[in-house]
Order: sequence, then C-alpha cells, then structure tokens
Amino acid sequence: MTLRIAGMGWVTPLGSGVNSVWERLLAGEEAVVEQISSPLNARVYPAFRVPVSATAQLPPHHRLRRASAISRFAVAAGLAALEEAGLTMSAETARRTALIFAIANGGVVYTKRFYHEIVETGAQAASPLLFPETVFNAPASHLAAILGIAGISYTLVGDGAAGLLAMKMAQDLMASETIDQCLIVGAEEADWLLCDAYHRWRLLRDAPPIEPFAPLRRGTILSEGAGAVVLSRSGDVELDRVDAGTNFSRQRDAASCVNRIFQNLARDGVDVVSASANGTFIDAAEQRALAKQCPGAVVYAAKTALGEAPGAGSIWQIICAVQALRENRVPPNLHLKSDPVFRQDKPNARATPFRRAIVSACGMNQQVAGLALSRVG
Amino acid sequence: MPLFAPSNNRRKEVRVAVVAAGVVSPLGFGLKETLAALREARDCITPVSRFDVAHCRCKIAGQISDKRLAKETSSGRRAKRLHRAAQMMIWALREALEQDPVFKPELSVVGTTSGGMTFGEQYYRSLHECGTLRGAASQIANYPPQKPLIDAQEALGILAPCQVIANACASGTNAIGHAFECIRSGHHERVLTGGYDALSELVFVGFDSLQASTPDRCRPFDRARSGLALGEGAAILAFENLDTAEARGANILAEIIGYGISTDNHHLTQPNPSGAGARQAMEGALESARIEAAEVDYINAHGTATPFNDAAEGKAIAELFGDVPVSSTKGMMGHSLGAAGAIEAIISILALREKILPANLHFETGDADLSLNIIANEPRSAAIRTVLSNSFGFGGTNASVILRTIGA
Repeated sequence: MTLRIAGMGWVTPLGSGVNSVWERLLAGEEAVVEQISSPLNARVYPAFRVPVSATAQLPPHHRLRRASAISRFAVAAGLAALEEAGLTMSAETARRTALIFAIANGGVVYTKRFYHEIVETGAQAASPLLFPETVFNAPASHLAAILGIAGISYTLVGDGAAGLLAMKMAQDLMASETIDQCLIVGAEEADWLLCDAYHRWRLLRDAPPIEPFAPLRRGTILSEGAGAVVLSRSGDVELDRVDAGTNFSRQRDAASCVNRIFQNLARDGVDVVSASANGTFIDAAEQRALAKQCPGAVVYAAKTALGEAPGAGSIWQIICAVQALRENRVPPNLHLKSDPVFRQDKPNARATPFRRAIVSACGMNQQVAGLALSRVG
Repeated sequence: MPLFAPSNNRRKEVRVAVVAAGVVSPLGFGLKETLAALREARDCITPVSRFDVAHCRCKIAGQISDKRLAKETSSGRRAKRLHRAAQMMIWALREALEQDPVFKPELSVVGTTSGGMTFGEQYYRSLHECGTLRGAASQIANYPPQKPLIDAQEALGILAPCQVIANACASGTNAIGHAFECIRSGHHERVLTGGYDALSELVFVGFDSLQASTPDRCRPFDRARSGLALGEGAAILAFENLDTAEARGANILAEIIGYGISTDNHHLTQPNPSGAGARQAMEGALESARIEAAEVDYINAHGTATPFNDAAEGKAIAELFGDVPVSSTKGMMGHSLGAAGAIEAIISILALREKILPANLHFETGDADLSLNIIANEPRSAAIRTVLSNSFGFGGTNASVILRTIGA
C-alpha cells in the first residue's frame, strides 16, 4: 500500500501558506515574540502568536462564529491542504475522506474562561455557550461540518508526538480501500495560562531565543497555529514508515527510546532530519540518537523559528521535511550554539538530491514517535 | 460498505477476540462486582461529594469511592501523585492482565474526554486564590488527558504507543472500534483498548449549564426523562487476532464483529432529531459485521436520558431493529463519558456470557411516538448471541460496535 503526501496547509506565527512560510524560514526569519501577561499574578511570558492576517481569508461559516482560535487555525490549514491536493469536497469525496485531528492542550482559552466564571462567581454563572467549545473534539467537529465529512473523524490527544500518532492512525485507516484520503490536522492555541503551567513545569524560558541542542537547556517558548497534511495514494512524497514509538518513564530513559526510533527509521538511509529540538531536556535525547544513527544527515530544527506548539509541532516538522525533499534545501538552524555535528547556520542545499527524510517527535510528556518520508522518483 | 473491506488481492479479514477485560465503575471493582450489580439492577448514583454542587440543578452522579480506590491501588509516593483516573486505569488494566498475563499489546487505543482535568482545576484555583502552588508542577505534569493511560501502562510494564481518542462521549466506543479495525486489517496482532474518565467540577458544571443533567433521577427512554447523571470509571479490553489467541489457548471472552462510525454535522451538542447520525453508525456496524439487523439480540443503548438523545437514538433503533430488547445501563451508573463505551462493552460481554439482559432503571412509560422494547427496571434472562452497543457524543460523533459470543 503506497501512501503519499498530496497536500499541505500551514498556519504559523510567521504567517500562513506553505510556500510563504517556507521562504521566510529559508531567509532565516523567526517569529517575533509577544509578551503575554497573566491577569492573576501579573507575570509576563513570551509567546509566538499567529498574526490575524493568517486566518483573515477564512470563508464565512456559522460554525466559526463563536469558534476559538484553535478551530480557526485548524480550518485555515485544513482548507489549504485540501486545495493543494486539488480536492473539492463533494458528498462522495467527503464520504471517502477521514479526518484525524491531533491536539495537546485543546481550546485552552475558552476552557479557562469557562472555569474562571465558575471559580469567580459560582456554578450558576457557567456559560452554556462556552462549554461545548471546551471539548477536545470541538475543532474537529467544526472542520468536519465545514467540509461535510459525515464518516470518520477522530481527535487524538497527546504531547508533541500527537501529530505523528495521528499519522500512524491515518496509515492504519488507509488500509481500507473505502478511504481515499485522510486529512490530518494538528493545532494549538497559546495563552498565558499554558505559559504559566509550562513555566512551573520548568520547560519555559524567560526570553527568546530557543537554543536547540544547547548544552544548557534553558527551555522553550510556546507558540500556536496549525498544520495539515492530506495523505492520499498520489503525490510527490511517499510515507515510507511510521514508528508510533513508545513512552519513557523518566527523562533519563528518553534517549534510549528516541535512539530505537531513529535506528528503525534510518536503516534505509537518511539525508535530512526534521528534528523536534525545542530547547528543553528532550534535545539531549534526540541529539544523541542523531549522532549515533544519522551521522551524515542534514538536521533542521524548525521550532527555533516557529516556537513549540505541541499539538501542531510534529505536523509542522512533516511540512518542513516534505519541502526539504521537494526543494533539496533546508532553512538555517537558528541560535545553534556549539555542537559541531549540527553546525549549520546557513540554508543548506546539496548537489546530490535529498531522497529520504526522518521526522522525529520527542514529546515533553513521555511520548516519542517518528516517521520516514521519501521523494518519489 | 464496511470501513475495512479488503480488496480482492489482499489477505482475508482477521477475526478479533476479546481475551481479557478489566473494569472499575460505580457498579463495582472488577467483572464480578459489576455482574452482581447488574443482576440486582442496583442504582449506584449518589449525591455528589467531590465538589460543591449547591448552585447546580443536578446534584447526583455515579461515583467511585476514593477510600476504596486508594485501598485497591498501589501505594507509594509516585502512586499518590497520580490522578484518580490513572488509579482507576491501573486497577482495570491489572484486572485484565491477571486474566491474561502473557498479553503484550503492540498498540494501545483508548478513549477519554478530560483525563486529569481535576488537577487542572486545582492548579487554576490555586492561581486564582494566590494560594500555595507547591504541588503545581506535579499537577501540571499529570494533568494531560493521555497521562492516565501512560501511567497505567508504566505501572504494569507495558510500553506500547498510546493513541488516546478524545471524541467526547463516543471516545470509548471509537477506541474499541479503531482497535478492532487495526487487528481486522491485519496491521496488528494485539491491541489494548478501553476508556477512562474521572468526575470533574468543570465537566459537571458544563453539563449542568446546558441543562443536560437531571435535577431528578436518570430515567433513560422514559417519557419523563429530564437529563443525564454523570459518572466515572475505567475499562480495559485486550483484543487479539482470534487465530493466534486460539493457538495459544487464550480464554476468549467474546468476539468483536463490527464497527460503525458517523459524524453528525447537525449541531455541536445536539443530534439530528431524525436519528440519521445514530442510524448511520448502527448501519455501518451491521454492514461491517455482515449481519442483518434481525440477528442482533440486545442493544446496550447510549441512552443518556436527555430528551434529545433518547428521542433520536430511540427513533433510529425502532426503525432499524423493531422490537429488539434495549436498555441503557446509565440509569444504574451514570454517564462516564470517555469510559462509557468501554464499560458498556464489558457489560455487553457479561450479558453475552451470563445470559442476562441488564435493566433500564427508572422506566415507566416511553415516548408516545416510540415503540421500543425497553428492559424496564429488572434484568431479564435470555440466551443471546449478538449485542450492539452505542455511544454518541458532542461534536456529532456516533459509534456502534457489535459483539458476539465465540463460536456463535
């Protein structure tokens, strides 16, 4: 069974559109940090936000009237991916399309607002309009309604590996010949509450930049947006293999788990790696596995420019890997400190084409997974 | 068309066995206690004790005793930091693995709606009240919805990758359905599946704000129904390729033979009143199982006791199945959201094995325009071979699975 990437959609703090965001990454741009503050304790946190213009072109739909930012990001990315795949959603196409949604923190803005009213005033103040939007599958429901998908729609929750676990689910679903394509969407919205939580979890740094693979792991900066991929039976990049990975119990066990995934995926060769390095403890595990299993590969860590949006991040990495395979170049790694193995601070183009790419997702809450892609022809 | 119809040149479909199961719910800890509660048609819904419900319309829920949960699950510093949902999952997984100690899953597909939500609530309240945030890091680390499954696997030495489906109240049945399809397609040999959810204030108040929960009693399919009662729990089922399970002499509890899923785009929280979404899921399950509606002997309905759900589901059942016996077991234990489909799948297995049709509590008179064969208030004895179990949720997700006695 051959599965290929037929279309992609991208909504990021660097704007939207695969080509546009990719060009900005190639130019060495990074998202601009916004300071967001907690009204409860006046703390200020850095975060990368999606510009309003990135979702300004959304078609009007009653489902989007009250929808949260995460739903809007997801719809924008999903529609763009379908457009790139050349798919128009007729009833028959919708019937043969599955929607798989990857999410980490969900609609945190509405969830916080809903619970805040309960805490502040009491249960009698709870809003029946907000509650349905707090449910994890609300964004998927909106997207399914807009596209007319009446069959399979799954929302998967997880950490930074959720997007790759969704790809695994898509691969399993497409064993059925009744499904022609899966639309896989990963999305996330940023909020001060998440920043506060990640700060207390000691995963957030106080100010930019994100330093990938740095000896001193100062933490990451949260981000938002969405990524979407249409997995189909035609396209110019093939999904070779998905390793749904495992869960590590303690941080010190992460290295062996990540290494096993790279070992599995790199055995047929690898030219380029779209890494999940985000400036936290998990970078060390990924770095060791890269050095051991992919010593000659070009490594690109997009989160240094786009930030860490756990639900969307691994789909963003897939988009980077596909673009690298298509264009035979990767953007510069930003803020890379000292490790000579990954020293690569200019756009990297090769005379020999990239044929195979690995995407690794090393989540911060125990889940790790990976996948391999190859250029067709 | 079945979801996973094989093409002509692919291997034949694999049959899927349930080789072990474990459950914790308001009905009890384990299969034995659950069966006893079903036989007695015990109403396990009680006044809410976990948080203040003074300002809510609804004041009841199906609850699991903290004391018993703490006693039944392992002690130690790490275990004490775990969320209640994780403790329930550990108990359910342990019960399943005690039945089949050699079962090693390649993949886990499990459903939830809110995971460790109460840790998130505690953290937010502490922030709001500027109180101590000493335990915040632990609460935050254990809050993510997938964490209870990862914790349970870790406690019992399982390393399988975790796909956690959050499709609202259909999550558990969706997880079972996808796990079934993973084996049936030949992609996997052994998959762990199930669902979990623990009662939380945010979700309780949310349903109350929608006036979806009852100020009275939970009366599924009754004309006077006024809403659902929430519940909590965890259930685990171990699925295996039937051939390999038989070859190694595994004890086979039942066979999963069909799965149907639909997405009803009518409204974010309300089903299409025509019952079309529910009907599509049930038809899909029948088609997947390649059986006729007349072969279904009992339906474990979603039956939340909300006016809209029961009317739409009842209409779809009546149109498709006529007078097949139907009950919703939520009148006994409440609606445990992401766990519901998995708990009800286990109840369906008990129904198949113990020849019991569980009761639909607090039923007096059905809707005037609906003719359903409700198993009212008392369980019935019946030798049944095939059961269909429904779960429907917010976001319009509908799921149905069909279970059958082995050898039937």
